[in-house]
Order: sequence, then structure tokens, then C-alpha cells
Amino acid sequence: MPRLSFQDLILRLQTFWAEQGCMLETPLDVAVGAGTMHPATFLRVLGPEPWNVGYVQPSRRPADGRYGDNPFRLGKHYQFQVVLKPSPLNVQDLYLDSLRAIGLDLTRHDIRFEEDNWEAPTLGAWGVGWQILLDGMEITQFTYFQQAGGIDLSPISAEITYGLERLTMFLSRQASIYDIEWGAGFGYGPVRKQDEYEFSKYYFETADIDMHWQLFKLYEKEAQHCLDESLVLPAYEWTLKCSHVFNTLDARGAVSVTERVGVMKRVRDLAVSCAHQFLASREALGFPLLNPMANPLVNPLIRERA
Amino acid sequence: MAEYFFELLTEEIPAWMHEAAHAVLLQQLTKLTHDLGEPDGDRNPVIVNSTPRRIIFFLSRIPLRESDREEEVKGPPIKAAYDAEGKPTQALLGFLKKNAATIEDVIDEGRLSGVGSRKEEGGVASETRTDKGSDTPPPTPDTRTNYIRIRRQIKGRAAGEILQQRIPQIVESLRWPKMMRWGNGEHSYIRPIHSIVSVLDGEHLPITIFGLPSGTTTVGHRTLAPQKIEVTSYNDYVTQLELNRVVIDAERRRHVMAERARILANEAGGAPAIDASIWSQWQYLTEYPGVVRAEFGGDYLALPEEVLVTVMRVHQKQLPIRTTAGKLTSSFLAVLDNDGDPDGNAAYGNSFVTNARFADAKFFYETDRKRTLVSRRDQLSHLQFQEKLGNYLQKTDRIEQVAAAITDDPETLAAARLCKTDLVTEMVKEFTELQGNIGGIYAREEGMPENTWQAVYDHYLPINIDDALPRTRSGAVVSLADKIDTLVGFFLVGARPTGSKDPFALRRAAQGVVQILLNRDKRSVKIGIDKLIDVALQAHEQPGNPATQQLKPDLLAFFAERIRTLLEVSAYGFAYDEIAAAMETGWASSLTDLVDRIGAVKAMRNEPNFLSILDSAKRIANITAGQQIAASVDPSKLENDVERRLASLAAAVSTQIEEMIAERDYKRALETFAAMAPELETFFDEVMVMVEDETLRRNRMALLHKIGGAVAGIADVTKIVVDRREYRT
Repeated sequence: MPRLSFQDLILRLQTFWAEQGCMLETPLDVAVGAGTMHPATFLRVLGPEPWNVGYVQPSRRPADGRYGDNPFRLGKHYQFQVVLKPSPLNVQDLYLDSLRAIGLDLTRHDIRFEEDNWEAPTLGAWGVGWQILLDGMEITQFTYFQQAGGIDLSPISAEITYGLERLTMFLSRQASIYDIEWGAGFGYGPVRKQDEYEFSKYYFETADIDMHWQLFKLYEKEAQHCLDESLVLPAYEWTLKCSHVFNTLDARGAVSVTERVGVMKRVRDLAVSCAHQFLASREALGFPLLNPMANPLVNPLIRERA
Repeated sequence: MAEYFFELLTEEIPAWMHEAAHAVLLQQLTKLTHDLGEPDGDRNPVIVNSTPRRIIFFLSRIPLRESDREEEVKGPPIKAAYDAEGKPTQALLGFLKKNAATIEDVIDEGRLSGVGSRKEEGGVASETRTDKGSDTPPPTPDTRTNYIRIRRQIKGRAAGEILQQRIPQIVESLRWPKMMRWGNGEHSYIRPIHSIVSVLDGEHLPITIFGLPSGTTTVGHRTLAPQKIEVTSYNDYVTQLELNRVVIDAERRRHVMAERARILANEAGGAPAIDASIWSQWQYLTEYPGVVRAEFGGDYLALPEEVLVTVMRVHQKQLPIRTTAGKLTSSFLAVLDNDGDPDGNAAYGNSFVTNARFADAKFFYETDRKRTLVSRRDQLSHLQFQEKLGNYLQKTDRIEQVAAAITDDPETLAAARLCKTDLVTEMVKEFTELQGNIGGIYAREEGMPENTWQAVYDHYLPINIDDALPRTRSGAVVSLADKIDTLVGFFLVGARPTGSKDPFALRRAAQGVVQILLNRDKRSVKIGIDKLIDVALQAHEQPGNPATQQLKPDLLAFFAERIRTLLEVSAYGFAYDEIAAAMETGWASSLTDLVDRIGAVKAMRNEPNFLSILDSAKRIANITAGQQIAASVDPSKLENDVERRLASLAAAVSTQIEEMIAERDYKRALETFAAMAPELETFFDEVMVMVEDETLRRNRMALLHKIGGAVAGIADVTKIVVDRREYRT
């Protein structure tokens, strides 16, 4: 059993996927609930351009905060996200190799792929896939994207999302997230616990409700403004901010059921517009990534297809 | 005889889809083998099986080739086939050439053998098909026979050729419940496909599925034996895969796991909970079957058992272990895709994840218990039921109002007030399938009367047709009130089910109402659907809504459908016509009465004199239909003895029948009615009803009408369909 730290895990996954032919992106510098919302996933899965990428994404879910008390749940956790487009036929084998790369002897563990389809109504997106169970514990979400921003996708992307804390915790046999080692002798608890406590207190008790509603309206307006000016990437960033403000209000208990449906629809409308506009903008540019810099001789993912 | 073997290697197919796919494949493949020729022996020559990522089938003992057969081909019209001298025309010769046939192949209808015998227009009336049995009557003339026909010998094709064509069709056309695309997105299937093995009698039979060519190579277990395997036959495949850690037979995987589960549970001092749904999932979650026992923290046993079991069963697909006394233990079982757990990794992992979920549940439970259910009623006003039907507090008030129209029992009404409060608990937000149960558990822990908490706990029941009813009458009342409120509400706002679309499960709600109202034990609720709708409508307070006018007939018709279905398919097992006959008389005021009346009709139809009832009723109905009928029988206008005798009999019998109906002795009422049959027959034989004299006619009609109407309070027996042969002695 490998005794990996949090950062060892990240390093090994990055190295592994880079070796397979993935470009390493960096985390999005906007608060998001999941790696899927990074433009490197949500926008890049659209259209015909190939795309192979891996990155860490801090994922904020205000309602999941537990004041640093719950050993299994966090208001902010870290995902390692891989997108392979088009999905190669050996994608499951690549995934299993990634587990071997982090030091697991798969003959001594139980690995199962159990149906778990994914749907994100605020993104107009859905996919089909599995949760991947290691010894009965979900460590990865695996999704074949079928639709994003209400647009049928072709080619299809495979999305692999590792839950980094859970995996580290499990591999290092710790009973609490806060007991894992981040790296270089630093513990996850001492590094992050204050963060979890303060943001739980903020999202559940302190956040100014009126201000957040105002922010929502301002962000929404600016997103629309950008769309009107054909600036789709800024528009998408404002849309993500809307989404996070909505999640904050939701955790704060400030969204009634009636409002909820309406607000979600407003975010979705923006996301759908962004998706359509992004696709159109790529087309106007002649889909530049159809002729990537990547050398098929060195990129196994591209070599595989060639 | 040949054997054919096929494997489709895919990515993991959802466990719940396998069995339905087997059934379709089995049916299609059986049809295929029949088309190839009748199999010898009784054993089904088709085997279908699957593992999470393989679909396998084996056709044993199929003929090497189809049997040869004859086929008729239609050619030009006879008129155009021969010239004036009776010689074949170009049209006929061309046709024969095209079909590689000669003039001898033209079917001899007994008139075309010689030129001279050919009749103008081709004597159709005398035509006999030579291939029919001699006792078959001559067919009626039809246009077909005005054409030249030839018989052609069709050589049966080789089995391989047929399989190459049919197997890809069968596999590609399987309709899975949720399809996906992959890679370049050209194909849509349950999961991406990786390889195909296609072997006919030890030889590769090349086929192509979604552009992928077949071969004779497969792979072993994904992680335990991922190497390539060359296979030559089905038996070879089964053996080799077993060596490479794949058990292809789902039943055997299940047996292996069941046995292992029994032993592991026994070691922990208990037995695995009996759970068919878990077993049917487990057998398709593993290629190499194994079971592991794990433990959760004993402290969690203090949580409500329903929560623990739901987390394990529904969320984790794990099997709880109970002691022989039925007590839940802190041990449980989980499926493994490996026959063992040498390092205890799976035991650790399963414990880890279950403890994590229980920790969450404990957090929810402790948060929830800080407030009482009553204090949550206000929160219900923020929870919308339906846009136009208000929030859950309003719904709860309506439920209470309907319940109050049925009972004044305070414990029941308390349950009505609280039944939806668990919707705003953390526990139900997380485990929605426990709605109702959680409210009941919390009410119990708050020390409420058993009658109240059980009613809250049970009030969603019955959801499915084979579900138990609420265990108390209070529960039945709250369930009824909730369901009728939902039905009336959604009908009011026009959200009715259409076709297969029933997003609010209104059919189930109506079926639940019917199930409860049919019940006769101590939980029985004596109210008609008619009254129930009225009360629910009042509670909705929408008298001005124009939809209320049409609502009632529509909703009654909706219920009628559910009633018919339920009485036909359920344990009652009534026949469609019996149900229709009794429903014609009415059902909206009491469903138990409806069942009694159907029961009487059903019992009666097996009696020899049932035909008399039916004939009498039908005759009367036919004669009086659309006729002017006097209001009552005037004895002074009765002309002869026969009709006077019938009238006095009718007068006496009608009164008796009325009394019997009042006492709900429907069977005796029908028997009494049947006893009038001989007298009635004499009447029909000797008395003319449709006479010129209007007064006389109307009076006779009145007499018949009175007799016919005697059992109208039970059923419209004319709706019964009988096979008269059953009654012959």
C-alpha cells in the first residue's frame, strides 16, 4: 500500500497523464463547484477540435462545509480532472494504468465500474458513465459527455475526475481528511482547517444576503453585456460567478424553492448562450486546434488515433 | 448439426439492464434458430448470458443449412401470357427467363395444361390450390388467380450465411434504456464496444458490428488476468475464461456469492438479509464473484434502523447482517469482483465508506432532533408543492380537511397535520426515499401515540400494486387524503397524465386510493370516491375555477380505468365483462359494494340457469330499447292469463329482489331473478308485445321494463359475454 501525500498524488497523476499526451492546464482562478466548469472542460468539449488536458481544480461547494468537524466532507475540495477528446477506446485501461502509477497493485484490490450518469442542469449538460469504486469506495467519476450547453457533442469527450482528498485519505489509511499529509511534512489539517471553519461560518451564517442578490444581478448583467459584445470567455467567467453566488445564497438558506427554479434557469440560459457563442467563435477562427502543435510522434493519444 | 458462439466485449453495462436484454436476445435468437429449421430434442438450443462487460450467446445444434423450400412467384396476367393461339407471349417467356424457370414450372390449375383447355379470363371459379389439403373448400375467386404463377425451388442457405446477416442485426438493434455515443460519436449503444468473437463449429465466422470486425480473441478479467485469449469453441471459451478469472454464467456467480455470504454472515452470528434486488444487482457487478464482510462503528446502531438499511442497501448496494432474532448487527456484506480480499483492502474500504455515510446521517439526525416536527410546519410554507397549488403547508391543511371529513379521531388528524413535516428535515433532503418514514420515526421519538406516528410513517403507502397498505386505519385515512388532494389538485391545474407520461405519478396515486378503499379489514375506510372528490374539491377552494365543472367526470373516468385494471389483474381476478357489467350500475359510492356485485355475477355465471338470466335480460333490453313505456303496469290492461301470471309473479319477485339487494344478498337476488325465466319464456312465446294498440303495447313494455330493471341495481348483465357451448349439457 503506497503511503502517498496529497501532493505526491497530484504529482504522480500529472506525470502520468502528461506522459499519455495530455496538456497540463492550471486551476481556474474563479470559484467553481467542480472541475467540469473550468473552460478547459465545459467549453473545450464543444465542437470538432481534439483536446487532451489534465489539471487540478479546487472545487467550492458552500453547502458541503462542515466547519472542519466532519472527517469526510469539505466545503472546498480538490479534484484532478482529465478530459480526452475524442474518447480513446482504451480510456478505461489508461485510467487503470493511472491507478497503477500511483502505486496500487490492482490484483489485490477490488475495482468496479458502477453506473452513475451525470447531469448539470445549470450547464445544460449531461453524460453517461460510472462511479469507479476502489474497495467499495468511490474515488473517481467517469463520464462520456453527451451534451453541453444544450448542444449534442461530436466527437465525444471522456471526463475523468479524481477526488484527491478521498484518494489520499484512503491510500494513507487515515480516518480523517485532516490527518492526511499535504506534502513536505505539512499536514492537511493545519493547512486547511481554519479555511474550512471560516468559510463554513461565512457561507452558512455570515454572508450578506442582500449584497449577494445584488451581485447576482450585476454579474448576470455583465455576462449578458459581454455576450452582446461577442466576448464569450469573459461572459462565461461572469456566468461562473453568478453560479457561485447562487450556491452561496443557497447555502445561506436564502433561496426559496420557488425562486430556485427561476434562478437556476437564469444561470443555465447564460451557460447555454456561452456554449453556442463559443462554438461559433471557434468556427469563425477555423477551429485552430484541428491542426495542433502536438506532434503525433510524441503524443500517444494522438498517435493512437492516427 | 452445427454450433455457434458469440461474445460482445463492451465496457461495464449497468447491472439493472442485463436481465431485460437477455429476454430480448433469447426471444430473437430462438426465432433465428427456428427460422434455420426445427431443432431436434427438447433442450432449448439457445443460451444467453452476460457479465458486466460481456454479452454471450451460444446456439447449439443448429442445422448446417436451411432446408430447401418451394416458393410461388407471381407473373404476368394470364390474359397477357398467351396469344390468341394459346402460345406463350413474350411477357410470359421473359418472366420465366428472369426466374430461370420453364413452362413446366407454371402451376397447373387443371385448365392450363393444354392450349385448347385454356378458358377465357382463366376460369377462376374452379381453381384449386394444389398444395392445399383435399378437404379444403375451393377458395373464393380473387384477383391473384388471374395471374400466372410458378413454383420455384429455393435452395436453403448455409447457416453461416444467415448468421452473418442476422446476428449483427439482432445485436445492433437491441434497444437499451439509456444509450450513449463515444469516440467520434458515430454509433449509439449502451456502452462502447471493444471486440467480437464469432465462431461457427470451431471456425471464425466473420461478422461486423458497428463497423468493428469480429475475431476469435477475447480478454480475461480486467485486473486479475487482462491477457488476450484465443478461443475455438464455446466449451473452450468457458474453460479458458474461468482460468482467466471470469465466470460467464450469471446464475453461478450468484450461487457462489450466496454461499459465501451465508458463511460470512454465519461467522458474524447472523444471516444475510433476504434481498432479491441486491442479489440481482450483485451478479452483474462482478465477473469473478466474491463477497467481503465489513464492520461499521457500533455507535451508529443508535441511528434509526431504516436509515442504516437504506444507506447500505440503496446507496452502497451492501447487504446488512441480522441476528436470527432479526436484530441488525454492525457487520454487513459487500460484493467483490475478486474471489478474496487477501490484504483486507476491501473490508477496510467498505467499512470506511459506510462509516463516512453514517457519520453524515448522524450529523443530519442530530441536527434534525433539535427541533420538533410541529415547529417545522412553518417551514413547509417555504416548500412549494406545485406552482398553482401552493406550498406544503397549504397541502397539509387540505389533507387535514379531507381527513376530518372521514374521521374526527384526534390522533389521525394530528398525523395529517404532521405528515409532510419531514420534507424539511436534513435526513429526508439527503435520503429522499425515506420520506414519511423519517417523520414517523421522529414522531415516535417525540413520544406521540403509536396511532399517530405509524400513520405518518405509512402515509405514502401503497406506492406499488404489491405494496402493503398502511398498517392502521389512521394511516389509511391520511394516505387517502393526501392522494386525493394530489389527484384533484393536478386535475384542477390541467396536469393530467397523457399516454406514457405521468410525471406526478397520478396513476399510482389513484391506484393507491382504490387499493385502500377496497380493503375490508379493521383498517377499512367507508367512503365513496364520489364523496372523496367532493371533499377534496372543497378543500381546494376553487369554486370559481371553470376547471371544476369538467373535473369530476374526468377524474371519475380516470379512476374507472384504474379500478378495471386493478380488479382484473390483482388477486380478485375478475373477468373484464363481469367488471364492466357491475360498474355500469355504479361504483363511485362504494368500491366494496362493487366487488360484492361483481362477485355475485361471477358466481352466477357458473350456474346452469345463468343463460336464462342473460337471455331474459337481453331480450327485454332489445324490445324496450328506445320505446315508449308506460310509467307503471296497469293490471286492468293485462289481456290474457300468461301476462297476468307474469305480472303477479313480477310484482312479488321484484319486491323480494329489492329486499335482497337492500341486504346486499346479490347472489340470491340474481337466482330469484333467474327463477322467473320459464314464465318469461312462455310470455315471449305466447304474447305479442309489439301490438298495434298503443296502450296495450306500452303496458306490456312497462311489465318487461319492471322485470328487466329488477336486477339493474346489481349489474347490467347484458354486458356479459358468454360462450354458449359451456352451458350445453
